Amino acid sequence: MILGDLLDAPVVDSSGRVLGFVVDVRLVLDGPVDGLLAAPRVHGLLVSPRTGTSFLGYERTGLDAPALLARFLRWRHRGSFLVHWTDVEVASADGVRLADGYRRWSPAIPGVAHQRP
Amino acid sequence: MSPRLRRSTRPFPPDETLPEPVRPAGLVLDARLHLLDRQTLDVDDVPVATVDDLEIGPPGSSLLAGTDSVFVTALLSGPVLATRIFGGRPPASRLHRIDWRHVTDVGTTVRLGVHGDSLDVLWVERWVRDHVIGRIPGGRHDPG
Repeated sequence: MILGDLLDAPVVDSSGRVLGFVVDVRLVLDGPVDGLLAAPRVHGLLVSPRTGTSFLGYERTGLDAPALLARFLRWRHRGSFLVHWTDVEVASADGVRLADGYRRWSPAIPGVAHQRP
Repeated sequence: MSPRLRRSTRPFPPDETLPEPVRPAGLVLDARLHLLDRQTLDVDDVPVATVDDLEIGPPGSSLLAGTDSVFVTALLSGPVLATRIFGGRPPASRLHRIDWRHVTDVGTTVRLGVHGDSLDVLWVERWVRDHVIGRIPGGRHDPG
């Protein structure tokens, strides 16, 4: 599967309620070592109510400059969340359906201080 | 306009504070933030291509389930300019693969541990060099 097919795909819960759109895919380099680096494992999906401008990642990092832009983009993407891959029932280019009892987590990248506006 | 949920249909309060997840053991990368559109450099620091997309899961699969571990298998590069403007994506057959095992470092650029000449992604450049540039008088040696 090509990752670009997942980006911007709608995310629904088990009852079919639309929760948002996939704006990014979180990877962790802890897969089998093949070459110099471990293979990136799909750890989770970042879901946001809107897709545009999320590629700048202000809602996930502690970046606060330029201040006005950072505050605006973080505000624009409030309501974003991370859902672990294990909570995904099925993912395809048509959309992502989450399993019953899925959990939402903070979208902040671990190890980076997340600053709220 | 890019897709978005209208405020009235958003299922959760926007300013909700969510719990921090447990930090995973390996290096954490967000695909769009840290990999896509990055320049790849070969072992001699020569630019090779940009990362236009990633191949995840078994090649050819179109449906993934959360019960299975899914890994990135290759970086993909290809003619994406038109599809970036007009939408869609080029067919998978037009995208060139660079196996993840060739990647040696991920930073501002993605570094590869192989020579660019050995990768399929540069075949157009090699073809133009051999069949067009090489036939121009003086095209087969350094200037000067």
